[in-house]
Amino acid sequence: MPLLESTYRNQSALASYCRTGNYRPIKGINKKNITQYRRLVFSIVDDMLTSAFPLAYGLVSNREWASLTKDFFSNHPCSSPQVWHMPKEFYHYLSTIRHPLLAKYPFLLELLWFEWLEIDLYMMADKIVPYNSIGDISTDALVLNPESHFQHFNYPVHLKNAKKITKADHSNYYLTIHRLPETGSVSFTNLSPALLRMLEILANQPCTVTALSQQVCSELGITYTDDILKTTTGFIQESLQSQLIIGFAPN
Amino acid sequence: MVGIGFRKDFAAELLQSNTLSPSFIEVAPENWIGVGGYWKKLFYKALEKYPLYTHGLSLSIGSPDELDYDFLKKVKLFLTETNAEIYSEHLSYAKCDNAHLYDLLPIPFTQDAAMHVAKRIEMIQNVLDRKIAIEIVSYYSPVAPEITEIDFINLILKQTDCDLLLDVNNVYVNSFNHQYDAKQFINALPLERVSYIHMAGHLQLSDTLIIDTHGEAIIDPVFDLFEHTIKKLGRDIPVLLERDFNIPELEELQLEIDRLQTIKQDALKKENYAAA
Repeated sequence: MPLLESTYRNQSALASYCRTGNYRPIKGINKKNITQYRRLVFSIVDDMLTSAFPLAYGLVSNREWASLTKDFFSNHPCSSPQVWHMPKEFYHYLSTIRHPLLAKYPFLLELLWFEWLEIDLYMMADKIVPYNSIGDISTDALVLNPESHFQHFNYPVHLKNAKKITKADHSNYYLTIHRLPETGSVSFTNLSPALLRMLEILANQPCTVTALSQQVCSELGITYTDDILKTTTGFIQESLQSQLIIGFAPN
Repeated sequence: MVGIGFRKDFAAELLQSNTLSPSFIEVAPENWIGVGGYWKKLFYKALEKYPLYTHGLSLSIGSPDELDYDFLKKVKLFLTETNAEIYSEHLSYAKCDNAHLYDLLPIPFTQDAAMHVAKRIEMIQNVLDRKIAIEIVSYYSPVAPEITEIDFINLILKQTDCDLLLDVNNVYVNSFNHQYDAKQFINALPLERVSYIHMAGHLQLSDTLIIDTHGEAIIDPVFDLFEHTIKKLGRDIPVLLERDFNIPELEELQLEIDRLQTIKQDALKKENYAAA
């Protein structure tokens, strides 16, 4: 016996009511109690988004937050069976519809993405690459932490209190986010474009500090010098310490 | 055996101390599939210490939508990788019109819905290559019912060979909300199909409504219903204490586990005397 159209209609009406608050009559329903479903469903949505985006939640007013979350859940069909993916869908939904609040807070999307990245890096499946912890920084090829992400922002959402960010802050900001292998905690590093480019090169394949310096100098059209190598080596040392670079390529 | 729902809120404490001594832990695969880093390490440490039972949230067995086979395959892989002993899901739907709702909505008690659910249970069991247990959910309103709740459940169970996860608190909540006798309801189930029991607390909102919150301690009438259930079953089966919110000190959870264990042992002892 296939599912009857009337059964589907009733199920759809209840689900739609939970998402939108718009009630279509359903036979035999307890009208008072059915409101609990809308309350319970939306409480899960609000809890998930509020805890995922504490900075964005703190930035906008309660009314604005409610408008964003209700608009999202009413109009966006959440596709992931894993509720902790919902914040990513929220970000993508807002970036698609260009919500009016984005005009008031031009950096809101970047703030949401910044907050999602922290969750994403913290939760993401382990990525394992071969590497040695001990090596010679001046001669051995370096291995980038595979659990890392490069990001460019137009607003300093990773540097300033969101309430103090203004249009005057609009610029180019580069950073990396990586997960520490032992503790699993997530670390952010603010970088110049040249240093970020070095990490991009390392992301493709392990590379020595000299080769990295030379390639970036060549791309930027500047002369490779010992001073540049020294500066790069300093950055690599710091990155090894912070585990943004996790070690050396096995021979 | 009495187990506990493995919550991130107390996961580290559970592993670092012996305050809480469950016989097994239970997780929702949805909360752990594709997770790495700190939580994966902690989870796998827990797996070294405890057998794993699993309880799905988003498969949406009662949904009119197509089954999510991609997700089902991920669940299958997760069950294999973690050596999960039981996989259970809810007699409800959590997705409709291609939108997940992340909560358990009541299926209309109709014959066609029962047949639809039974067919999907068969499909799920075929993909997973294992028998699943289905849980009777708590509900706050019927939806266009044509048959009774007990007839709906029994019709599904008649059509499939799946096991039954009996959430005793859910039966209590439903009997209160919909004014029926909880013991009679349990007696009318095919108890030989019950492979697993859930126990939890709830929140009474009014004189006519209880919400199944898993956020409070189990109340005495639910312990009494549990004792009745074990006596009717006349055999030992795994029991889970669910506590998802408002989590107290672990000592308090252990007291609940101990009480469940004692009730079960006493009830079975008395049944054995009666049989002898």
